[in-house]
Amino acid sequence: MDRRTFLKIGAGVVATTAMGPLPQLVSCLQAKETKACAKNKWGMVIDVAKCVEGCTVCMDACRKENNVSAGNYWIRLATIKPKVPNAKSQPIPLLCNQCDDPFCVKVCLVKASFKRQDGIVLIDEHRCIGCRYCMIVCPYKSRSFVFKHYEEITNPDSPKRQHGVVEKCDFCVSRIDKGLMPACVEACPNKAMSFGNLNDPNSEVAKLVATGKAQRIRPDLGSKPKVYYLGL
Amino acid sequence: MKTYFTKIEGKSNGFYILLGILGVLAMAGLYSSYLMFTKGHYLTGMNNQVPWGLPIIITIYFIGLSAGSLVLSSLSSVFGKTEYKGFSRIAVYLAALLLVGALLSLGLDLGRPERIMLAFFYLNPQSIFSWNGFLYSSYILICVVYLWAMFKEKDKLVKAIGTLAVIWAIGVHSGTGGIFGFTSGRELYHSPLTPPSFVAAALSSGTGLTIILLVLTFKVTRRFLDPQLIFGLSRLLIAFILVVLYFLAVENLTRIYSPASYEATHFLLFSGNVYCLVFWVGLIFIGSIVPAIILFIKKSIGWIVFSSALVVFGVLCERFIIVIPGQVLPSELFPGYEVSSPFMDGAMGSYIISPLEIIQAVGVLAIIGILYILGLKFFAFLPEGKK
Repeated sequence: MDRRTFLKIGAGVVATTAMGPLPQLVSCLQAKETKACAKNKWGMVIDVAKCVEGCTVCMDACRKENNVSAGNYWIRLATIKPKVPNAKSQPIPLLCNQCDDPFCVKVCLVKASFKRQDGIVLIDEHRCIGCRYCMIVCPYKSRSFVFKHYEEITNPDSPKRQHGVVEKCDFCVSRIDKGLMPACVEACPNKAMSFGNLNDPNSEVAKLVATGKAQRIRPDLGSKPKVYYLGL
Repeated sequence: MKTYFTKIEGKSNGFYILLGILGVLAMAGLYSSYLMFTKGHYLTGMNNQVPWGLPIIITIYFIGLSAGSLVLSSLSSVFGKTEYKGFSRIAVYLAALLLVGALLSLGLDLGRPERIMLAFFYLNPQSIFSWNGFLYSSYILICVVYLWAMFKEKDKLVKAIGTLAVIWAIGVHSGTGGIFGFTSGRELYHSPLTPPSFVAAALSSGTGLTIILLVLTFKVTRRFLDPQLIFGLSRLLIAFILVVLYFLAVENLTRIYSPASYEATHFLLFSGNVYCLVFWVGLIFIGSIVPAIILFIKKSIGWIVFSSALVVFGVLCERFIIVIPGQVLPSELFPGYEVSSPFMDGAMGSYIISPLEIIQAVGVLAIIGILYILGLKFFAFLPEGKK
C-alpha cells in the first residue's frame, strides 16, 4: 500500500467514525421537538384505596408488555400494614419512582442510566456493563438484574434483554411515545392509576398532586420521586 | 550500607510444581468466570436483594492489601527508614499485583465484562466508582514508574514517586470506601467514616500480608531476613489493629445511639445471626484481639507470622461485614409499617456464597501468585542473600 492509499483509507476511517454518532444526534434533535420534550414531565398518581389485595392485573400487563425476565419485577403489588395492634393491611403497587434527582443515574459508571428530557429514567441496555451499583443505591428496590438468559418473548415489539444487564420500569416509554398510556395504567380494572404530564396544570395528575393529599415514598431521601400515592 | 538486589533462580522442581498448581487453580477460576459470563449470574449466590457478593468482597479486600503494602514500601523511600529498604521493591510489586487482582475480580464479576472499556470512554464525574476507574489504572502506572525508579537507583525520583504513591494509595482506598459510604439509602453503608476506616484496614491487612510473604519468601529462597525488620513491622501492626478497632467502635456507637439507625446496628451486632458471628468472632476476637495480645507478649517470628495471618483473616471478615449485611437488611420504604411483596420487600435477604464464586476467587489469587513468583524470577526484587 503506498502512502496516498494509506492516507485515503485513514481519512475514510476517521470520517466514518466521526459520522457514527450523527444519526443518533439527528434522532435526538427530532425527539426534542416531538415526544421526549423538556416541556413534559411524566408522572403517576396511584389511589391505593382503589387497589385490591391479591389482584395481579398490573403486574401481568407489565410483564406481558415489557418481556420482563422471570423472577424480576418492574411493578409489584406490595402489602403494607402499620405496626400497631388491629391494623388493616393495604395493598400498594411499587414501581420505579422515576426520580427527578435519581441516585442510579448519578452513580452509573458509564452513564448507561440516564434521564430523558421528559424526566423518564432509562437504561441503555447496550451500554450497561452490569456492575449493579445502581441496584445498591436505589432506595426503592426498583431495579432487577437479568440473572439468566431467557427465550420467552410475550411482546415482539418490545426489546428483549440479554443476561448480565440491569432492567427496570421505564414508564412504558415506547407506548408513551406513541401517545398511549403505560400498560399497567391501561390495564387496571379499578382505574387506580393515573398518568400524565405533571407540568400541565390541567392534567389529571397535576390536579391530584395540587390537592396536596398525594404523598411520595421516602421523599426525605431527596431523590424527588415522580410517582405519587393517594390514600396512604 | 548498600542493599544489592538479585533474582531468584527459578529452576528447582519446587518452583515448577508450585507454578503448575497455581496454573491449574487459575484455569479453574477462569472457567468459573466463563460459565458466569455465558450462562448468567444465576449460578452465583447473588440475587436481586443482594446483587453484590464475594467478587466485590475480594475486590475491596485486594485493593486494601495493595494500598497497605504500597504504604509500607514508602517507609524506606519516603520516610528515610533505610532498614526497611530490603523489601521496598517487593512491596511495590505486590501492591501492583494485588490491584491487578482486584480489577480482575471486579471485571469478571460484571454482567457484561466485554464492555469494561466503556468505563473509560464514558466517565461519569458524579460517580465515585467512575473516578475509581481512573484512580485504579493510574495507580498501577505509578507502581510501575516507582519500580523503574527503584531499579535505576534514582533516589530523588524514588522519593518523589513514593510520596505520590502513598497519596494515591490513600486516595484509591478512600475512593473504594466512598462507593459504600456515599450510599445514602442504606443505613449500614452510609457513613463518612467508611473511607478512613478502609485506609486503616488497608494498613493492618497490608502489613500482615507483607510480614507473611516476607518471611515465607526469604525462607523459601534461603535468604537472611533481619528479625529486627519483622519486629518493627509487628509494632506497626499492633498500632494499625488498634486504629481499626477504634474506627469500628466510633462508627457503631454512633449508629446504635441514634434511634433511626438503632435497628440496623442491632441487626448487625446483637441479633445473633451469621453476621454477628463474623463480626464478633471473626473480626473482633480472632482477627483483632487475639493477634494484638500475641504481638504484645510474644516476640518470635513464628508468633508474629501467625498473628499476621489472623489479622489478614480478620480484615477479610471486615470486608464481608461491609458488603453483605447492608444489602441483606431491607431498605425501609415505609417506616412504621410492615411490608411484604412477591419481590421480598421488607424481608431479610439472603446470600449464600456459591462454589463457583469461591473457585473464581481462588483463581484470581492463583493468578496473583503466578505473577508474584514469575516476577521474582525475572526481576531483581529480593535483597541479596547473606551467605
